[in-house]
Amino acid sequence: MQDLLQVLVSGLTLAAMYALSAVGLSLCWGSMNVLNMAHGAIMVVGGYVCYSAATFLGSGGPASFAMALAAGAAMGALLYLALVRPLRQRKGFETLIIIASFGLGLIIENLILKTYGAYPIAQPIALEGGWEFEQVFVPYQNAVVLASSSLILIVLALFLGKTRTGRAIRATSISAPAAQLQGVPVRRIYLLVMMLSGSLAAASGVLLSTLTTLAPTMGYDPMLKAFIVCVAAGLGNASGALFVALLLGVFEAAVGFYLGVRFGFSFLLALVILSLIWRPSGLFGGKDLQRL
Amino acid sequence: MMLKSFPWRWAWLLPAGVVPFVLDSPYFMGQLVIMWIWATVVCQWNLVFGVAGIFSLAQLAVFAVGAYAAAMTGLYLGWSFWLAMLVGAAASVVFSLLIGLACLRLRGAYVALLTIAVAQVLYLVITTDTSCVLQNAFTCASLTGGPRGLTDFGDFGFSSLLGYRWRMHGHYFLAMLIFSAAMVFSSHVMNGPMGLAFRALRDNEAYARSRGVQLFKTQLKVFTVSAVFTGLAGAFYAGYFRVVGANILSTNQLLFVLSMLILGGLGRPWGAFMGVIALMIIDEGLKELVDWRLGGLGLTLILGTLLLPEGIAGAWEQLRLHMKARRALGATQ
Repeated sequence: MQDLLQVLVSGLTLAAMYALSAVGLSLCWGSMNVLNMAHGAIMVVGGYVCYSAATFLGSGGPASFAMALAAGAAMGALLYLALVRPLRQRKGFETLIIIASFGLGLIIENLILKTYGAYPIAQPIALEGGWEFEQVFVPYQNAVVLASSSLILIVLALFLGKTRTGRAIRATSISAPAAQLQGVPVRRIYLLVMMLSGSLAAASGVLLSTLTTLAPTMGYDPMLKAFIVCVAAGLGNASGALFVALLLGVFEAAVGFYLGVRFGFSFLLALVILSLIWRPSGLFGGKDLQRL
Repeated sequence: MMLKSFPWRWAWLLPAGVVPFVLDSPYFMGQLVIMWIWATVVCQWNLVFGVAGIFSLAQLAVFAVGAYAAAMTGLYLGWSFWLAMLVGAAASVVFSLLIGLACLRLRGAYVALLTIAVAQVLYLVITTDTSCVLQNAFTCASLTGGPRGLTDFGDFGFSSLLGYRWRMHGHYFLAMLIFSAAMVFSSHVMNGPMGLAFRALRDNEAYARSRGVQLFKTQLKVFTVSAVFTGLAGAFYAGYFRVVGANILSTNQLLFVLSMLILGGLGRPWGAFMGVIALMIIDEGLKELVDWRLGGLGLTLILGTLLLPEGIAGAWEQLRLHMKARRALGATQ
């Protein structure tokens, strides 16, 4: 029983971080068919910006976190203006943007490496200690991660569901031409979605770095896992991604606990591949009707 | 048709065959051997990605399976490396078939994400492997060599076969042979029924499918068969360097080879070759700037996609068409 609860604690924390990244990736794919391979690099940028703000400017936790979000949004804007906009009209855009954003990720990673060095750094805003209930240990930081990512996701859901801009984003992902005909400034929406997704990446990066350490390559594996979450849910389905993130986060924690952490990713992938054989367009993907 | 005139297609064999006898630099020879290895991999990747339209990022995983299988056969079974090389190719084919069965029912971006995840999982499983299989007095080695890699599994024996002086020539010509066979195979596929099927699917999918062209089956076939030469190249890599490490599965290596394919030009067999040469020259230049190698690679990928939409080969074709048009214009005036 205690084992189970302990798995649940670490699984939900993992899930919260995957959810932030996966929802961001889903938004990008849903509205403009962009698979952003620089997502992991933006996570790293978020982590390091938060670290620099806390260490060199002496700002507190929330302020450093906000700066990281702003930096993530800036990276999203850069990605949109430098790569998505010029490539958008090209044939094979979906493939090209994967390759180009991979390139951007490498450049960012290289810059971080040159600025901060390759050695892992502890994230200063992380909290020490935790509660102990009946031999189940809940670190404060895990609680902070869970609370802040839930808060971010709730705010995001309200923004997408209740505001005018949110409605415009949803309209654009259903059909960009139709939205444009109704007077939605589609290009500005694209830019906004990329910035939003960048902030989500940065948030996920900061939270990740509070649980482990900062390193220039720390974003890559979590990014791939977030992508796998999106694929399992059906690409572009943000609420489905949230649910699958919860499921897979707990699953990975259980595998890590009972079999060893090094098998976490492999079992995750195997489970997702099996589920895709059963439902090729994802658990929540609609019937994949194709117009030929 | 080709016999009518001089077979220009094979003209490159002449300089390629002469170079090792003219050149006397071991470093340069080594680079040329690596060039043949990557050219083989990229040529088969082009078949999968450029011709069959499967956005697979598992190409280097297939390559690594060939290398590891050959190395492990040599190490644990003590077989001659020539035999081990065939085992490596066979293992690659089986691996490729399994990945194909799992991933090819999906399309485009899904395939890319799943295959890159497969490659990364393989990388993580190998680098975190600390089990104790081979134990002797001082060391304890794991089955896959873990982060340290595998060594001492034998090689092609060119030093004793040809003498120390000519061993590099042996490697060079073996690598060239593998590449030539891969090229022949690739043009065979492109001009054969499978190539026609893909061209039909690309031009008008609805019509092609209604005439009985099966996407999944044809894709799976190409995906599996192209693994033969990819695996063979991997096994050759192991025998040439006499060490295999998980670094060939790293994302940076994957992106390095991917940029060869993209910069060369997708779907054009010789484009792949041009991409390999271009990237090796760029990489040679970046070696001076060790710290910026990653960033330089990233910049190459970005500039390649932004400025050369059809790669070097595509740009070359455009230029030739342009020149032809101008000449025709000049003749009429």
